[in-house]
Amino acid sequence: MSEAIIETRSLSKEFIRDEFHVVALKDVDISVRQGEFVALMGPSGSGKSTLLHLIAAMDRPTGGEIRVLEHDLHEMNDREIAHWRNAHIGFIFQQFNLIPVLTALENVELPLKLTHLKKQERLEHAATALKLVGLGDRLGHYPRQLSGGQEQRVAIARAIVTDPALILADEPTGNLDAASAQEVLTILSKLNKEHGKTIVMVTHDPHAARFATKVRHLEKGELLPEGAVPAD
Amino acid sequence: MLRYLPLILKNCWRNRRRTTLTIISIGVSMCLLGVMMAMYHAFYLSDPTPEQALRLVTRNRVSLTFPLPQFYQQRIRQIPGVREVMISQWYGGTYKDSRDPKNFFARFAVEPDKIFTIFGEFRLPEEQKRAFQRERTACLIGRDLADKFNFQLGDRITLVGDIFPGQVELTVRAIFDSPRVSEVLYFNRDYLEESLPEARRGNAGTFNILVDSPESAPRVANAVDEMFHNATAQTRTESEQAFTLSFVSFLGNVKLFLISICAAVLFTILLVSANTMAMSVRERVREVGVLKTLGFTPGAILGMILGEACAISLVGGGIGFLLSMILSGGVRRSPAGAFLPPIRPFEPSVAAACVMTAIAIGAVSSLVPAWGASRTPIIEALRSTD
Repeated sequence: MSEAIIETRSLSKEFIRDEFHVVALKDVDISVRQGEFVALMGPSGSGKSTLLHLIAAMDRPTGGEIRVLEHDLHEMNDREIAHWRNAHIGFIFQQFNLIPVLTALENVELPLKLTHLKKQERLEHAATALKLVGLGDRLGHYPRQLSGGQEQRVAIARAIVTDPALILADEPTGNLDAASAQEVLTILSKLNKEHGKTIVMVTHDPHAARFATKVRHLEKGELLPEGAVPAD
Repeated sequence: MLRYLPLILKNCWRNRRRTTLTIISIGVSMCLLGVMMAMYHAFYLSDPTPEQALRLVTRNRVSLTFPLPQFYQQRIRQIPGVREVMISQWYGGTYKDSRDPKNFFARFAVEPDKIFTIFGEFRLPEEQKRAFQRERTACLIGRDLADKFNFQLGDRITLVGDIFPGQVELTVRAIFDSPRVSEVLYFNRDYLEESLPEARRGNAGTFNILVDSPESAPRVANAVDEMFHNATAQTRTESEQAFTLSFVSFLGNVKLFLISICAAVLFTILLVSANTMAMSVRERVREVGVLKTLGFTPGAILGMILGEACAISLVGGGIGFLLSMILSGGVRRSPAGAFLPPIRPFEPSVAAACVMTAIAIGAVSSLVPAWGASRTPIIEALRSTD
């Protein structure tokens, strides 16, 4: 098996909300190896999205350690993290989150604007990514002109256009019908198997989890042992 | 930042109605600001033309409405540095229907043999000059006045006196071109003097003095006023520019007035622009979170939002300045324009000030929302529900 590219030790996240002390994540130890497709499952409020956000350095832990792609995230400042995220992480949202005033091609080109590529090269890369997700004929379409499934495929293209080592997906099929969800999951599976991308996907859909090579469950902020599932 | 320009411009146009209304608001305000700045520049910051720098105007120290004795002319002429002195008398009077303000223009009784020396910038054929100097009832008019009333050489103009009794019957014998507004009529002072009763003769409204060099002007001005310091009618001698500005001062503290209006306009634009940008940013907090997730730094996001506001302000400011050029030209050509320092519709320094103001308005109005958005934590931004 390949080396671990995500490693956490006693990772915790606590915060105060409306005067209540909330423990979102408690002493999580998880290791994800290169090339794995891990599904994080659990009920709402179990901390799976929080864990995903910590892996993407979109949030800071309140305790423990986290090392992703050989970087100690707590040692990096905001600017370094932004550059690191752009270069190494592809993030897919449940609600697609495309920029409505940009075409599919321009949306996918967006992360490349932070690189040193020239405009022509950026557009070529973006078009290639869109072709990879089956939207080569929708380059000039705006998000409002696309179906939900197509929007999510554009979002996937945007996540992979920088050729990141790690793809993080937060309920990528949560807003899709069954057919579109199947298409998206097939693409993610293909990215994992054929392109060797490491994927961590948050989902509470057992059908979606079946596309993963490993499933881990969270409950009340705690990561259950491998193979264990919540009691109910 | 240039590679973000397409995104900045597309974001500007995201809510077309709001952006259009904001551009119009800024445009109208900047138009007013542009006119005010053009006037301020013309009144207080513009340099005199080379011809103006050689001219002084002497009037009664008490008020422009009090005359000076005619014999002062000979004594002023003797001061070293003085090349020529001309008596100029504001005639006033009415042309046609005085209730119609369009019939108002400046009318002066002058000395025809000296006027072309004093106002060297007047351009007209020699034969017209001679015709004006030769004929006692001839008048010399500016091209602007000729165009306004379609006056031709040989036309008759009758002015009915109000300050002075009777009326003067004049014939257009010369039309001059001038770089300045020329809605003005000059006629022979001798003709006016002959029409006056004995007791009212021998006075001068002002003396136009031509000096030999700009450096002589302050010395000559002091010398003239010193010469008549102990006389019954004391004088006040000033540059032609300052004399013209004294008409403006009749309106009150114009400088404070202009600055106050500019400040009020600026404050209003700031509020309008700030409100627009606050709304625009508030609607897009989630997108800011997405951009940050993609790797955009807070600095880049701050720059994009500031750029967006500046782009909108610049378009509004540009439209406003173009409108202000038209309006400034209108002020210049208005009847009152003949009594004001020349307002240039396009003044590079005013244009630069308008551009800088527009950029500053964009930057200042969006700084707070842009700063807030760029500092919003990603998770908080992504939770935003618009």
